[in-house]
Amino acid sequence: MIPIEYYVALSAILFAVGGVGFLVRRNVLSVLMSIELMLNGVNLAFVAFNRAATHNHAGQLFAFFLIAAEAAEVAVGLAIVISLFRIKRTVRTDEADLLRN
Amino acid sequence: MSFFTTLFPQDDFALFGVILGMPLLGALVNGIWGKRLGKAAVRVMAVTTVVVSFVCSVIVLLALAHWVDATGHQEGGKTVHDHVRVTWTLWQWMHTNGGRSGGSIPIDVKFSVDALSAMMMLIITGIGSLIHLYATAYMAEDKSFHRFFCYLNLFIFAMLILVMADNLPVLFVGWEGVGLCSYLLIGFWYEKDANAAAGKKAFIANRVGDFGLLCAMFLLAHFTGALDWNGIESNAAQLVDPPVDALRIHLWPLGGGRYEGWASFLQPNNPLTISAATATGLALLLGCTGKSAQIPLYTWLPDAMAGPTPVSALIHAATMVTAGVYLVCRLHFVFLLSPFVMMVVALVGAFTAFYAATIALVQYDIKKVLAYSTVSQLGFMFLGVGVGAFSAGFFHVFTHAFFKACLFLGAGSVIHAMHKRVHDDDKAQDMRNMGGLRKYMPWTYRTFAVSTAAIIGVPFLSGFFSKDEIMYRAYIDRLSSPMFERLKHEGNAPFTPPAWIFTLLFAVAVAAATMTAFYMCRCFFLTFWGDFRGWTIGRPSLLAKIDEDEPGEEDLSIPAYPPHESPWQMTVPLIVLATGAAVAGILNMGLFHVTPIDHWLEPVFESASKAAVKENPSPSAGALLPFGLGAFVVGSYAAYYLYVERKGAAEQEYIKAATRFTQAMTGILFIAIGAVLWGVVPWAVGGYPRYIVCGGFGAIGAYLIMSYVYVGLDKLYDETAVSLIDALADTSAQFDRYFIDGVIAKLTAFVVAAAGTVLRAAQNGVVHLYAAIMVVGVAAIGWFFVIPHADASVAAKGSDFTVTTGASGGYLGYAFEWAQCEPDKKVWQKEWDAAMQVDDAKKRATEQRRVVEDLVAKHARCEAPGDKWTAVNKETVARDGTKDSFGDVPEITLHLEADSDAIVEEARPVRLRARNVFSPALRNYAASTTVYVPRPAKVTSIEVGQNQ
Repeated sequence: MIPIEYYVALSAILFAVGGVGFLVRRNVLSVLMSIELMLNGVNLAFVAFNRAATHNHAGQLFAFFLIAAEAAEVAVGLAIVISLFRIKRTVRTDEADLLRN
Repeated sequence: MSFFTTLFPQDDFALFGVILGMPLLGALVNGIWGKRLGKAAVRVMAVTTVVVSFVCSVIVLLALAHWVDATGHQEGGKTVHDHVRVTWTLWQWMHTNGGRSGGSIPIDVKFSVDALSAMMMLIITGIGSLIHLYATAYMAEDKSFHRFFCYLNLFIFAMLILVMADNLPVLFVGWEGVGLCSYLLIGFWYEKDANAAAGKKAFIANRVGDFGLLCAMFLLAHFTGALDWNGIESNAAQLVDPPVDALRIHLWPLGGGRYEGWASFLQPNNPLTISAATATGLALLLGCTGKSAQIPLYTWLPDAMAGPTPVSALIHAATMVTAGVYLVCRLHFVFLLSPFVMMVVALVGAFTAFYAATIALVQYDIKKVLAYSTVSQLGFMFLGVGVGAFSAGFFHVFTHAFFKACLFLGAGSVIHAMHKRVHDDDKAQDMRNMGGLRKYMPWTYRTFAVSTAAIIGVPFLSGFFSKDEIMYRAYIDRLSSPMFERLKHEGNAPFTPPAWIFTLLFAVAVAAATMTAFYMCRCFFLTFWGDFRGWTIGRPSLLAKIDEDEPGEEDLSIPAYPPHESPWQMTVPLIVLATGAAVAGILNMGLFHVTPIDHWLEPVFESASKAAVKENPSPSAGALLPFGLGAFVVGSYAAYYLYVERKGAAEQEYIKAATRFTQAMTGILFIAIGAVLWGVVPWAVGGYPRYIVCGGFGAIGAYLIMSYVYVGLDKLYDETAVSLIDALADTSAQFDRYFIDGVIAKLTAFVVAAAGTVLRAAQNGVVHLYAAIMVVGVAAIGWFFVIPHADASVAAKGSDFTVTTGASGGYLGYAFEWAQCEPDKKVWQKEWDAAMQVDDAKKRATEQRRVVEDLVAKHARCEAPGDKWTAVNKETVARDGTKDSFGDVPEITLHLEADSDAIVEEARPVRLRARNVFSPALRNYAASTTVYVPRPAKVTSIEVGQNQ
């Protein structure tokens, strides 16, 4: 069996990469993709811990919930991006300053 | 009756709740919902509440009489009753420390009614309900009808608290309450500036007096250790006895010091001290002069006539202004301890009576005549209580309430009728526009006539019995008491007033009575006799000097209609009050020695009856009767002659003379004060303060006498005190405008704007940046939860102490680690009790004992060599071997002081360990703090008492 620390480490790496990508990338679509990456990292952690606790399936079930939530969130996020593009004709975050002042 | 006495026991008489609660309820309902409820409901509510209070007051009186009767016992051949009080306690309000030993004085919200209070309650609620009824008609067309009755009911509530109070703080609540209601009611028509200013003047003059009452409360709390009537009475002797220096209040040098160096010219030869009783009496007198409009604080009462006439009748005739007299009667045992203060009270009263009467001689406004008459009659009341005739003075309160209220209500009735013709306020009240009203307003005329006869002292009406009794007692009463005899033997004789003072008081009272008769008859003749002069308002008339630039608002083209009698709501109270004014004298006929009221009030004024002594051989009341009768006859005949026979032709000359006379009186007052200070006060011989102060008074007096511009006391206050305050206010206004608004406000605005400009840069609208900031925040919170931290606080209990850790999130437990003991304790706990180590405690106790022994050796006298003293406990020490018989041992008191600033040399470091759910691996991360243990109490001084 693969020791659980490897899974947790991989999950942490995915989360960190996603988090940094979310903070740093300038393209809104890349930001959305980084959010996806973070969620997937968390999913992996849930499933890995579930393997260590074989008496219930709470981890896997919660992973399902997360996937569903993720999908919904992506739909809403892309809708926002499209609205932004319609108004400002750009997908760069530093030009999305409609809330200024 | 037994129904009530069984329902309400004597010490828990809950009917007081109804008496007090009904007017309060009326005030609340009328004030909050009055406008919506409409005039009829407001009227019913207001009058009914006061009538219910009156009925309950009658029940209280009967119950009290029942209990007083039950205590009757024989003493020296006649039946004597105890001083019965019916009480009701609500709750404990607060407590304070006082008394010469510093004990705690509890102050409860407690009401008690004795014979004196019961009479006052009847006056307040009875005359109050008549005046409420009157006001329903008088104020019927006013748009703030509900507000008026709200305030009027509130006044009744406050006044009832004042007279039913069992201690000085609750009385002060009522005192301030009536002052507030007086302000609200005088300034009732606040749209006119003059009315609002009059209200302010009344309130401020009252406040000056309240300062005196507060000082008196402090003195009483300190010296007698009690603030309720029973307590003060039992401890009152402590104000003068035993005569030690601690009981003298040092006036000059202030506080008992010495003036040295450059200020040594201020040092007097003999320091000026007065006894505590004198100080308390003078402070109380200041309070009473404010509330009861005596010199020097009477100036608000004439201005208070700007309020509606029912207000003048209720507040400034019958009830509020008599609160001062009530207070003197209530605390008579304090006043009796100082003959000097009694003399001052009598002098103030007599002089005020005289002075106000001179001013009333020249007034044209009918309400102002009655206002000055009130001040004058209050002077009579103070004269009465000042010579020790407390029940005579109080009886004058009783009769004065009847006839003065009737006079004011009658004047209001006249003004009501005049107002229909002349809408100008000043002209409607001017007596020069009245006359001949007796055929238009018969009931008003008759009741006014009866009350006028009562006030001037027509024989067998009420005023005759009360006023002449006061004048008689002013002549014959001399005060002394067994305590004064004892003090005289011990060489500490109290001040004795010289014998000629009483003749002076009598003469001044007779003169004031003559002038009372004159101006009241003048008022009566001008208003009701002769021909009605009001037809010609706006046209030149015989007596009036009317300004031709301001014609009246009357349309002279339509035929004038005559004034008419007032509605029944106004005439019925007039009739009731006039009847009372006529027959109330029966209740206390001093002349014929039938004095039920004296007998009723006798238990209240026990110490007064023990103290008052008549001079021997004393003239009987009959021998002094001609003076009183003569006063009334001379005064009324002079008014009759001048106004009816000569039709007031000579008025102008004598008005000029009377005005100059009053001004001269003010001048003489100032010179007299200067002379009294010169003689009575022991200044340094040839010292500057004496010249400056007495010379100052004399100079003001001389200026007033010599100047040709009339400067009465009122204008003098305007020029001096009021303009000082105005100047101060102007200075503050400039400071506020230029410094506070200009500099400080603008500076802070600039700083805030700059900060805003800086912070605005963070709001650039880029959502990404906002998300980044959120992440940083979340990381910080997470760090707080993940990293363990803790702190500790120490509570010391004697020589033990407890260390408690502070709360923090996410922690399961804590542990302590002493540097020196139990290093491996693995139990996690939040508190740790630690004790001083054994030799520490013993070291400290030994040290304390050593300190005690040193002090005892220094201060106590050892009877035999080798005597040893030990500490029995923290409070007393006993000589070794005599623990059993403390009678032989002098008492020693230790004064201990907690030495909380000192810390012991050794500080104990405390190491805390913390762990939490997130970091089992961080178990050994530790915080540390240092515990400081305060030193326990040390002995600061030691007092050795005397062998009893």
